[in-house]
Amino acid sequence: MAKRSVLGLYTEEDSAADALDNLREAGFEEDECEILTGVPYPEGTFGEAEPEHHLYRWPLIGAACGFTIALLITAGTELAYPLVTGGKPILSIPAMAIIMYEGSMLGAIIFTIIGIIFESRLPRIFMGAYSEKITEGHIGVTVTTDETRTDAAETALTKAGTDGEIIRGWE
Amino acid sequence: MVTDPGNRVIESYVETDNSAEARKAVSDGILNIHKVTSNRFWQFAALFGIMFVLGLIGFVMRLSSGFDDKAAWGYYVALFAFLMTTSSAAPMVAIAPRIANSHWRRPISRAAEIWTLAGCLNLLIYIPLIWLLPSLENGRRSLWFYGQQKAQDMDSCWVFCWGGGVPAYSPHIWATLAILGLVVLGFALLWLSILPDLAVLRDHGEGWQKKWGRKLALGWRGTSAQWNWQYHRMGVVGAFYFMMLVFVHFFISVEFLMVHVPGWIDSLYPITHAHNALQGGVATVMLTMFFLRKFGGYKDYIGLDQFWGLGKLLLALSLLWFWFWFSSFMVLWYGKKPSEQAVLELLVKGPYLYLFITIFLLVFILPWFTMIWNPVRRSVWGPPILAGSILVGTLLDRIRLYVGAWDVAEKSEMMHSMMHMEMEEVPGTIPSLGIADAFVIVGFIAGSVLIFMLATRLIPAINIWERKEMLLYKAEVQFHRTKVMVMGKPR
Amino acid sequence: MQEHTQLSNKQINDDLLKDILTVPKWWLPAVAFLSLIVLTGLGAFFFMMYHGLGVTGLNRPVMWGFFIANFVFWIGISHAGIMISAILRLTQAEWRRPITRAAEVMTVFSLIAALHTPLMHVGRPWRVLYWIFPYDFSRGIWPNIRSPFVWDPSAVGTYLIASSLFVFVCLIPDLAILRDRVKNPIGKKIYSQLALGFRGTPRQWKLQIIAGILLSALVLPVFVSVHSIVSWDFAVLIGVEGWRSTIFAPYFIIGAIHSGVSAVAMLMALSVWLYGLDKYIKPDHFDAIARLLIVVATTWFFFFFLEWVYALYTLESPEIALRELQAFEWPYGPLFAIFVITSFVIPVPMWLFKRVRRSAALMFWTTILVNIGMWLERFLIVIPGLLRRTHMTFDWGTYHPSIIEILIVVETFAFVCLGMLLFAKVLPLIPLFDIKEGMVNRRLIKVGRRVVPATIREGLPHHYYENKH
Repeated sequence: MAKRSVLGLYTEEDSAADALDNLREAGFEEDECEILTGVPYPEGTFGEAEPEHHLYRWPLIGAACGFTIALLITAGTELAYPLVTGGKPILSIPAMAIIMYEGSMLGAIIFTIIGIIFESRLPRIFMGAYSEKITEGHIGVTVTTDETRTDAAETALTKAGTDGEIIRGWE
Repeated sequence: MVTDPGNRVIESYVETDNSAEARKAVSDGILNIHKVTSNRFWQFAALFGIMFVLGLIGFVMRLSSGFDDKAAWGYYVALFAFLMTTSSAAPMVAIAPRIANSHWRRPISRAAEIWTLAGCLNLLIYIPLIWLLPSLENGRRSLWFYGQQKAQDMDSCWVFCWGGGVPAYSPHIWATLAILGLVVLGFALLWLSILPDLAVLRDHGEGWQKKWGRKLALGWRGTSAQWNWQYHRMGVVGAFYFMMLVFVHFFISVEFLMVHVPGWIDSLYPITHAHNALQGGVATVMLTMFFLRKFGGYKDYIGLDQFWGLGKLLLALSLLWFWFWFSSFMVLWYGKKPSEQAVLELLVKGPYLYLFITIFLLVFILPWFTMIWNPVRRSVWGPPILAGSILVGTLLDRIRLYVGAWDVAEKSEMMHSMMHMEMEEVPGTIPSLGIADAFVIVGFIAGSVLIFMLATRLIPAINIWERKEMLLYKAEVQFHRTKVMVMGKPR
Repeated sequence: MQEHTQLSNKQINDDLLKDILTVPKWWLPAVAFLSLIVLTGLGAFFFMMYHGLGVTGLNRPVMWGFFIANFVFWIGISHAGIMISAILRLTQAEWRRPITRAAEVMTVFSLIAALHTPLMHVGRPWRVLYWIFPYDFSRGIWPNIRSPFVWDPSAVGTYLIASSLFVFVCLIPDLAILRDRVKNPIGKKIYSQLALGFRGTPRQWKLQIIAGILLSALVLPVFVSVHSIVSWDFAVLIGVEGWRSTIFAPYFIIGAIHSGVSAVAMLMALSVWLYGLDKYIKPDHFDAIARLLIVVATTWFFFFFLEWVYALYTLESPEIALRELQAFEWPYGPLFAIFVITSFVIPVPMWLFKRVRRSAALMFWTTILVNIGMWLERFLIVIPGLLRRTHMTFDWGTYHPSIIEILIVVETFAFVCLGMLLFAKVLPLIPLFDIKEGMVNRRLIKVGRRVVPATIREGLPHHYYENKH
């Protein structure tokens, strides 16, 4: 069955928190409901669960990849085309260490960026029910659920007191 | 409360628990722990006392060996450098976060400041070194550009024209003044910091603590003028202490280390030495915090915030250790100049290779690979273990550098080659550790710890007035459906 | 921050987006003027490419001149951007909020300006491709990884990519605001694509905050390594007096921080004057950056002092002769005096006064002086050592920069200014969500008759503060 989203807009943080409570009472799961804000609030402000993520794996994987590639480039090219310069050995560890370090950091940073975008569940092709008022300071509570339950969602959202705006959208 | 034109509240005041009862609870809580001295404390003090006596025996043995054999004093100088790198630098943990207004430093700043008292032991240890340091007349490189030391084939004398009147014992004079200045500034910093708490002891302490509190508090009453004076003086003295610390490390690293190794021209090394001191100081305070929490009864005062804050600092300083070392190493290694290769042979690749690898692991690799993990950094056990590793590594590092340098100094003096740009001979072995040296190292480290322990019998190890000040600026409040911590920044 | 204006989200959006949604009157003439300078500089470069490097003042023994001094200068400026942003994020300093993005963007454009200078300096830049991608394997030559000139692009390239991605990731929430505010359909589509569908869920905000801290922690080591590696272009050589010093890596870095933080202070002043952002960048911010500058400048001066002391400590006549040339002989002596006076002697004592620290105009002019001094510092490091590089006096030379070099150097300044203006036209220079977060987290504590500003701290989950462990 196709999913639909319903968005309730609020001007007060407590109204948004009440709406979330109403949705829980109405039987909606945590992962069906989301708070949308135009500014980061302290965690737990609306009574939402702490989001879990695994971002910390990404820089480690990236660093390992970067280190390996840099090691292969530096050691591989110097062994393939050995040319003694400045009286230093072909595999000069201090010199290689610099490029391997930069490679590791580049890998870590690139993978971290990818990880941030991925863990943020971006890019998101369909915005679902969304309002431009959110970036103006309104707080949105959105429910993504089956078509049959959207009315119940709307009822729960309206109980908390919106400023007259319920928006429906496609997921 | 502040409202907007639409009458909606947009700012509100936070209530902090700053009542007289709360403030009294802070004083009483800390004093109740401070008043009690357990048997275990006296047992450890006795043990450290015995070790200190052994140290004094070793000191006398070392003195009786005379000042002619420089190589024999290598371990002694290394110990002096180690104590300057640890106990003398510990107050920086109080000074820097105080300037930055970090609230997490409050429970630990006093412990950091108390370490300045070990400075008098450092001064005692320094005294024989005045006789050990060669005068400029003997012909050696120095910061003082002694008038008679002209470079070969050099016509220009502008460098020396203004330095021509420099006394031959300039390094001795200035190093002594610098170390004395550091000790005096340290005492001043500590006294300024403890004044309000001495008043607390005077008013609420018992027995000899009350008596000494009355004598040393000098009529402190807590007027606005006194608080302003104290705050500003602490800032000024703290800044001067930091500058003096860098200055002292500058002297020690040049006059007691680099000048003795022909060809060792390393402009970065004074900074590296000062940085090692910061790292050693932070590690010293970290271990102190651990012991105060575990054995001192201060579990409710020294918490995760303190270990986490210092842990981050320790990680950054360990990474900087590598950067400073590599910056020097890269320049010396790359050029392949024989004089610089000889220096690397002495300090890194030659007889001290395994020692260097051990130091590298203890001071850099181990802290880096463990402290990048949040669960280790954000714990009460992780950072102290790494602090211990760093302190052991720092001691070994001082031994590597100073024993090696003074071994070369002995040989260079014999060959009149201290002014040369290249070592005549790189020693092939490490001078052995004698019984006197072992006594001195163990004994004086124990002596520093003993001084700290005895000082905490008079001076509360947790800063009472800073804890009370925290009550003004910290509150836990309800923020919609969650609780948050609110921290004020008064300045 | 003691001074503060509490603003609504709508007001913040209006204030900080007005110069994107409309065109300020001064903007087009400024862009036209800067573009003219850039085109003139590029014209000078094409002239140089056609006629050869002989049109510059470069010759034996001074093979590095204005271009390399300029390269080091811009690498230096680029450092402070990320440093300010990263260190202030890691220390959770509230005064960072209006400054971070401008500083980060300045880093990106400074790096591009720095990179294109040596590319122009090589004379035949298309051959750089052959240096990276050998066209003829049979010659058996590959870039020599033992050379600092190979370490340079790896470091600067890493830093450029890292800084650019850092800017982009932290821009995503503001791109979402622009997506919602822009009416123009093409603009709306572009901003929508770039915003990647950001909606502002708790998960997305949490990752934004972690991104700021984690990327700061990752970029800081890169920042340290970049200028160290650039300094090793000089320090590892044994042939040039005045360059062989182990202190070069930290000396260059602290000099970079000095000039870069000064450039950020200049940017702040320009933002207030040109964009009317006085509600966001207050005298408190100038005060905070000036205090940072006092510490940085004093540290830099200590490193400068150490570098000189150790040059004299060697007691080697060529080294001492070089120092005499740098400090006393025409024209380097007067330039040396100007450098010391403008980079330390005038600004730092002035910054000790609160009235100076809190004034945008005085901070602007003192920081310009600093950057003049720091450009001269790089010049005085690069050229005098090369003048008498060889022991044979007949091989000693002089250096006179040509108009071509001057135009190209001026072009780099115009390029960075133009880049910042163009960026500010399409994207906000002050991070909106960061300012809004500051408003949400701000509280006041009443202590007797005094009101103390406070902030919600979310460093640890609140139960960690209960010391129950």
